[in-house]
Amino acid sequence: MTTRLFYDLVALVIFALVIVLGVPALMGFDGFELNTFARYLALGIASLALALSWGGAGLLNLGQAATFGMGSYAMAMHLKLKASGDGLPDFMGWNNVPELPLIWVPFHSLGFTLLAGLLVPAFVGGLIAMFMFRARIAGVFVAIITLAFLVAFQLVVIEEQGITGGQNGLTGLAPLNVLGWSVDTYGVGFYYLVAGCLVTAITIGLYLTHSKFGLILRAIREDADRTRFLGYNVANYQTVIFCISAALAGWAGMLYTLVLEFASPTYMSVSFSLAIVIWCAVGGRDSVLAAAIGAILVNLLEGRLSDIFVEGWNLMLGVIFVFVVMFMPRGLNGLVGDAWRFIGGRLQKERTISTRPHLQPEPVKSGQEN
Amino acid sequence: MKRRDFLSSVGAVGTAGALSAPALLTTIGRATAQGNDIPVGLLFSLTGAVAVVESTLHDAALMAIEEINAAGGVHGRQLRPIIEDPASDPATYADRARRLMIRDKCVSVFGSYTSASRQAVLPVTEQRSNLYWYPTLYEGRECSRNVMYGGAVPNQQQDELIPWAIENFGPRFYMIGNNYVYPKEENNYCKTLLAKHGGEVVHEEYVPLGHSDFSSVINRIRAEEPDVIFATVVGDSDVAFARQYHAAELDPARMPVVSLTRSEVEVKAIGGEAAAGHFSSAPYFMGTQTPENERFVESYKSRYGADQVTHFVSEAAYFQVYQFKAALEKLDPANITPETIRDAAVGLTLTAPQGEVLIDENLHTHLWPKIGQWQSNGQAEVLLQSQERVAPLPYAAYEGQTCTGEGLVRA
Repeated sequence: MTTRLFYDLVALVIFALVIVLGVPALMGFDGFELNTFARYLALGIASLALALSWGGAGLLNLGQAATFGMGSYAMAMHLKLKASGDGLPDFMGWNNVPELPLIWVPFHSLGFTLLAGLLVPAFVGGLIAMFMFRARIAGVFVAIITLAFLVAFQLVVIEEQGITGGQNGLTGLAPLNVLGWSVDTYGVGFYYLVAGCLVTAITIGLYLTHSKFGLILRAIREDADRTRFLGYNVANYQTVIFCISAALAGWAGMLYTLVLEFASPTYMSVSFSLAIVIWCAVGGRDSVLAAAIGAILVNLLEGRLSDIFVEGWNLMLGVIFVFVVMFMPRGLNGLVGDAWRFIGGRLQKERTISTRPHLQPEPVKSGQEN
Repeated sequence: MKRRDFLSSVGAVGTAGALSAPALLTTIGRATAQGNDIPVGLLFSLTGAVAVVESTLHDAALMAIEEINAAGGVHGRQLRPIIEDPASDPATYADRARRLMIRDKCVSVFGSYTSASRQAVLPVTEQRSNLYWYPTLYEGRECSRNVMYGGAVPNQQQDELIPWAIENFGPRFYMIGNNYVYPKEENNYCKTLLAKHGGEVVHEEYVPLGHSDFSSVINRIRAEEPDVIFATVVGDSDVAFARQYHAAELDPARMPVVSLTRSEVEVKAIGGEAAAGHFSSAPYFMGTQTPENERFVESYKSRYGADQVTHFVSEAAYFQVYQFKAALEKLDPANITPETIRDAAVGLTLTAPQGEVLIDENLHTHLWPKIGQWQSNGQAEVLLQSQERVAPLPYAAYEGQTCTGEGLVRA
C-alpha cells in the first residue's frame, strides 16, 4: 500500500464517520434538517464526478450539468408516471399530447429507470467523448464543446414541452417506492440512502484514481503525446473516464430529484454547470474526496451566508471564489497538502540536514528556467 | 512576506475555517421561533432574472406587514417578517421554502411570481401542511389545499375580454406567447371562448422565454392582418415585443395588442409612447379610483420613491397580507397553525385597492376584472369594469373538473 493510498483511505473513513454519525447527531436526527444536508451530499457526487475527468484526466467538462439533468429527469419521469396512475401526466394534457410518448413508456419500471439514469448519461457522454478525443481535441476546446452541448441540450428540453414539461420541468411527483419501502424524503432513512451513495461513489472514485487506469489518465493529463508514444490508446482512456464521470453525474441527478421532489431545466443551466466547477476547484480537483467536500462546504457556506446577509450573499460568494482561484489554485486539498509538507519539512529540518539531496533537481545554470 | 509564509498563513486560516464547519452545522439546526411574535416568510427574488418584478411584490408585502405592525399587530402580537432571497432559481426556492417552513416555523409564507417557482415550493408546502400565499395571475388547473391564490385565473381575465375584443375590433385573433405552460393554458381557454363567440385563431405562435427579436413575428402579423393580437408574452420579451411593434409602425387602432400580462411595470420599461393605445385585462390598475387604492399608491410611493409603480400583482401581494391578518384575527391566539388560518380565511371578504375581494372555498380569490387602455403617461385608462365580482374557476377549460373546498372533483 502506498502512502498516498493510505492517507486517502484514512480520510475516507473519517469522512464516512462524520457523514454517517457526526452530522445526524449534530442535527439531532431531525429528518427535515437532514433533508437539506442530503441535498449537499447529492451535489457532492456531481462534484466528484467532475473531479474524475477534470482533475484526474485534465478534461474540463463544462457540460456536466447536462448529464446530471438526464439522471434527474429519468428519475422524475418514473415518479411522474407513478403519480399519474393510469392517466397521462398532467402537463401533456395542456400541451395537447394525445398519448404517452414512446420514450416515456419504459420508465414505468424502476429497474429500467435506475439503469437509464446511469447509462443514458454515460452513453451520451461517451458519444461526445468519442468524437472529441478521436479528433485529439484537448484543453480549452473540450470545455467549449461540452458547454455548447449543454446549452443546446437545455434548449431542446425547454422547447420539447410535450415530453419534458418545458420551463416548469417535472413537478408533482410521487414518492419513490423501492421494494415496498416508500422513501420519505424527510426521513432519516433517506439521508442514509444519500450518504451511502456518496460514500460508495467516493470509494469508486478512489479506486479509479489509485488503479493503473488512473495512473495512465494522469500521464495523459501531463503529456498526452508522450503517453501515446508509450503505446496507450489515449482516446479510449479519455472516453472511458468521460463515460464514468457522466454516469456518476446522472446518479447525482437521480438523488437530487428525490431530495427536491421536482426536476427543472435549471438543473441543466450553464450557471449550475459552472457551480459544479467551482465546488470542485474549491475542494481541490486532484482528489475525489476533496471535490465532494468542496461541494458540501460551498453549499453550507452559501446557505449560511444567505441566511445572515439576505441581500448581497451572491456577491460575497463570488468574491470568495475569486480569492480561492487566485490564492489557492489547487483548492483546500492543495492547502492542506502544503501545510502538511510545511510542518513535515520543518520537523525534518530540525533532525537532519537535507535527507534526500539526490532527489533535488540540479540548479539550471544556463538560465533557461521552465 | 515570502510566498511560503503567505501560504502557511493562508493555510492556518483555511484550517480554522475547516474546523469551524461543525459550527456551521449546529447553527443550522437551531430553530429561531421565539418570543411572542408571529413568524411569516417572504420568499421573493431580490436578485436574478425575475427580480425586477418580484422585488416590487416583496416591497408591497413588506409594506403591508409594517403597516399592520405599526397599527398594533394582531391580538397585540407583531408579525415578524423573515426575508429570503431565492435568486430566481427554482432549486433555491425549494431550499429557502424548507428553511422558512421547517426551521423558522413560519405559519405562512408569501412568495413567487413564476409558475416554476410556485411548483418548486409546492412539495414542501403540502408535505408540511403549510400555507403559501401566491399573488400572481396564473394558468389555473391547480387545486392545492395549501396555496392561497390571490391572482386571476383564465376565466377571470378572459370571460369579459374576448367578447368585448371581438365586438370592438373583429373576430380574427393572432396568438403570441412565450413557450411555457401559462400562455398555452390561457390560449387553450381563449380558443374555447372564441368558438363560443364566433372568433377564430389566424395564427398561434410561441417564442422562447426571454426571446427579444420579434421581426419575423411582426412580418407575419403584417401579412395576416389579424384584428386582435392576443398576447401572453412576459417580462423582457414583452418589453422587446411592444417596442418593436411600435417601431414597425403598426397602428394600435387597427391591430391592437390585447395582453394578459402587461402591467405598469412592463409599460414603464416599454415607455408610454410605445405602449399607448394597446390594452390589458387585469383586476387592478394603478389608476383605479377607490380610497383604498389612493392610500395604497400614496404610501407605496412615499416609501419607495415617486417614480415607483403599483400593478396587479403587487396589489395582490399587498392585500393578501391583510387577508392573512383578518384570518388571524378570527382565530384563538393559542391556536394559530397554517390549517386554522386557511379555514378562517375561506369566505373572508376584504376591501382591497381593486374593490371588495372574497376568498373562495377553493382558495382562489373572487376579483373585479377590468379592461384598461394604456396612455402615453404610462397609466391605463379603465374602459370597462366588470359589473359584478367574478368567481375563480381554475378548471374552466376542462369540462367535468371543478376545484372545490374538498380539492379537485371529477364529474
